[in-house]
Amino acid sequence: MFSFRNPISRAFATLALLLAVFAVLFPFVWVFMESIKPASLGGRPDLWVFSPTWENWNEVTLNSDVPFNILNSFAIALVTVLISLLCGAPAAYAFSRFRGFESARYSILAAEMMPPAILILPFFLVLYHLKLIDSQIGVIAAHLTFVLPVVTWFLIGFFDEVPRDLENQAMIDGYTRFQAFYKVILPAVRPGLGAAGVFGFVLSWNDLFYALLLTGNESRTLPVAIAGYWTFRGVELGKMAVAILIAVIPVLALSHSIQKHLIRGIGGGAVKY
Amino acid sequence: MQLKYKFILPLALLLSAVMLYPLAFSGWLAFHEYRLTRLDDVHFVGFENFVLIATDPSFLNAMGNTLIFVLGAVSLELVIGLSLALLLQKLNILRNFSRSILLAPMFVTPIAVGLMFRFLLNAELGVIPHYLSKIGITVDWFGPDLALFSLILIDVWQWTPFMLLMFLAGLEALPKTPYEAARVDGAGPWLTFSRITLPMLRSVIVVALIIRALDAFKVFEYVFAITRGGPGNSTETIMYYIYQTGFRFFRMGEAAAAAIMLITVILVLVVLLVKFSQAEEARK
Repeated sequence: MFSFRNPISRAFATLALLLAVFAVLFPFVWVFMESIKPASLGGRPDLWVFSPTWENWNEVTLNSDVPFNILNSFAIALVTVLISLLCGAPAAYAFSRFRGFESARYSILAAEMMPPAILILPFFLVLYHLKLIDSQIGVIAAHLTFVLPVVTWFLIGFFDEVPRDLENQAMIDGYTRFQAFYKVILPAVRPGLGAAGVFGFVLSWNDLFYALLLTGNESRTLPVAIAGYWTFRGVELGKMAVAILIAVIPVLALSHSIQKHLIRGIGGGAVKY
Repeated sequence: MQLKYKFILPLALLLSAVMLYPLAFSGWLAFHEYRLTRLDDVHFVGFENFVLIATDPSFLNAMGNTLIFVLGAVSLELVIGLSLALLLQKLNILRNFSRSILLAPMFVTPIAVGLMFRFLLNAELGVIPHYLSKIGITVDWFGPDLALFSLILIDVWQWTPFMLLMFLAGLEALPKTPYEAARVDGAGPWLTFSRITLPMLRSVIVVALIIRALDAFKVFEYVFAITRGGPGNSTETIMYYIYQTGFRFFRMGEAAAAAIMLITVILVLVVLLVKFSQAEEARK
């Protein structure tokens, strides 16, 4: 492969890369600065030197609904992911192993790509008639529409990589196919289950659209709460910055841990590298 | 029942409940006059909703805005993502450090991204206009001319990492022999890239483009967080249009018709893209 042997082009390349890193980091740095700015100085763009304060953090964590919103987001994402893994793992295994599922495989991908605009109307109406607007159950059902296909699709690629000899051997040893699946194959794809679970969790945690329309005071999730810090007046900006950081930091930490599995998952066995 | 169907039964049942049933319901809605404010007067209207939507200038405007958004965002993301992937691959210093940072935006909740940029780019109070004005540049990022473009830039900030992720993996998997042959023959970097790297990355590029484009059609959060469709309706996207029709004006039937037309447009585009890439393949 060619490389940047010429020191000048190498310098330019390094500069371009650093510029990209800066462009990514800058908003995060800014939002952290806003979160520790005293409320009276919020929204002063020229201000980088000030005495930092934790008043926004205290206000948001001790004196607002945000902890409750975090709890809602967390519970909804967790239940959604558990259901998705429970139903998605056996199906992904079947898609990977049995003949006759080729088109079913791609209908999973189609489901994953379905625009929420077409699903939200029936969801809203059904939940409205069931008196389940503003309940976690409705949001979980709605989040299943994208987390379940993603998790299933994600796992197909991981099952594809487990050699068939593994379950053949287990079945020779007297396991039924199903026993072979959950005693031998599932443990072998544990990293995949973890990565798919984390990815699905992040998708549910980050959703605004469904949560905005299906939740209320009793079930509001963190993204909807963030959208509620609306005005651009001193105090609110600092609090919004805190809420944003609270939403973003755990997700960044989680995603970092699954980085190396992401490609196999997103490819879903369809992209061969 | 055959064993293989038992494995997919839970998934099939659950997907029927949360997807097939709502889809059928939406199909039914699209042919009915169904207003949340007049629930006692729900009745069949045939294709009337489709006609209403298809002749509504704001639907066509929203469709146009969405297509510009998708095309602009996805092509910028493709070019920047591919360039960054090549840079990262060549520069072995900083590689792991930069990769982790550069991938971060794709995991951030889009409403947070929207709000961060709303304030970073705000004409009076934003940091970026503040420093731009110091070097004599005044840009109204969310004014009528630039607002849609600014939303595209925000999407580029958030989703170029996805392209980067796909291309990095694609580049890593490329065989080494063609490159050695090219070097022996004295091919320059540009020739090597356009004749070897690009053709070999083709399938990865097509998959990344399709995934990204379908996702970009769903853009809602940036519009909701920043412009609410404005100024005028210069940034009203199709998702925002459907949200308005269904949940601000309570016209569920028309919203369903609009959603079905959106899916039709998406399907046509996907089929065209796949056909095009197969034709390209066949040409070789």
